[in-house]
Amino acid sequence: MELKQVYEQLSGSYESVMSRLMTEERVKKYLLKFLDQKMDCLILSALEAEDYETAFREAHNLKGVCANLNLDRLQISASELTEALRGGKPEADITPLVEAVKADYRFTVEALENLR
Amino acid sequence: MEKNALLIVDDMEINRDILKDIFEEQYVLYEAEDGEEAIAQLEKHNGEVALMFLDLQMPRKNGLEVLKYMNEKALINQIPVIMITGEATVESDVKAYELGAADIIYKPFAPSVVIRRTLNIIELYEHRISLEKKLEKRTAQLRISQEKLEKNNDFLINALSSVVEFRSLESGEHIKRVKTFTGIMLHNLRILYPEYRITDEQMKAMINASALHDIGKISIPDEILLKPDKLTKEEFEVMKTHTTKGCELLEKFKQEENEFYKYCYDICRHHHERYDGKGYPDGLTGEDIPICAQIVSIVDVYDALVSKRVYKTPFAVEEAERMILSGECGTFSPRIIECFEMAKPELFALTEGRFSFADAL
Repeated sequence: MELKQVYEQLSGSYESVMSRLMTEERVKKYLLKFLDQKMDCLILSALEAEDYETAFREAHNLKGVCANLNLDRLQISASELTEALRGGKPEADITPLVEAVKADYRFTVEALENLR
Repeated sequence: MEKNALLIVDDMEINRDILKDIFEEQYVLYEAEDGEEAIAQLEKHNGEVALMFLDLQMPRKNGLEVLKYMNEKALINQIPVIMITGEATVESDVKAYELGAADIIYKPFAPSVVIRRTLNIIELYEHRISLEKKLEKRTAQLRISQEKLEKNNDFLINALSSVVEFRSLESGEHIKRVKTFTGIMLHNLRILYPEYRITDEQMKAMINASALHDIGKISIPDEILLKPDKLTKEEFEVMKTHTTKGCELLEKFKQEENEFYKYCYDICRHHHERYDGKGYPDGLTGEDIPICAQIVSIVDVYDALVSKRVYKTPFAVEEAERMILSGECGTFSPRIIECFEMAKPELFALTEGRFSFADAL
């Protein structure tokens, strides 16, 4: 599938990512790397271990990478989780936020798999 | 060494890759995936790194800790740091700037902007560093020329003051001793009475000025200046004018607002004043006598006592001290006496050592 179609499927901004990163080749390279990194697992295992510092950093990283690659939908849910985890153990129940990240992550990965 | 490398510090490989792709053609690129690695890279490539991109949130050591390290090692002024951060939070931005970050760039960023800002910052730092180096060099040159000037100055003052001494058929050592003893006394005065607030520079000027204390003797006729016997009352009155005559001489070259001139003048005029007002030429009393003149007057008396003169043999140092303390040579301020007592060991050692036979030549 073409890169542009993948972005349409993701409702991410193809124009924006291309204006910054310039070539499709580069964007694809970064996206494939993103696929290999399994960043969701890193967040989830940290949460399971109640290591909130690491969970925050990993959520923060996910948010940053999504911003760079214009994976806009996942960036929003990652950003919300990041804020909930800022400052250590969250007071409120973060389950819905975690579920949202999981769902958006799955949705994003499915679309990106079409690039292979 | 030319700085042609960038150090990219980020725990996310994709973020590093994006920066690498931007700069790989112009720069050698070093990477670090956490703070500790960044520090290791800095230690290894310190001289090569033209700029560092630094992520804030990282495992092991975070971005702020890396900045702290760079402050400790004084690297922060040598290597510009651009923080790359996911979001603008005022506190961390302020902290980063406080710790010396050159700039902060937020994700996602446009490469063209990053390139422009990076090149600008590198240029700015290079320019600043080269200016600092130039300034350092210039300062060093200035220091050298100032030292030269001071040396020439010393030479001229010594030459000038020895003219008088040669006329008095003395050896020229008196001036050297007066300068040395004045320095010792001033050193002790500063310890005992810091309220005089004498700076290092002022002390140096006073020591130099002390060399000219008898410059007015140039105007005293030979038959009085060189007379081996006791002077008559009239002759002594003429001799006393060496203080005011010296000032007349100096006034021809008067320099307003010049401390050195003022010390020369004060010492020349008042080095025969006494604390109780019984000295000359003005009969000043107490602290009205400038402190530099008070010091030179006791030093002058002490040196006259322990030196051989045409009309007398030298006294032993203990005898000289007794005469000064008993007031036989006029009254000095209690503070000056206190300084003299404190300076005594050093003065005595010099008198009996290095300077002892100077006037026997």
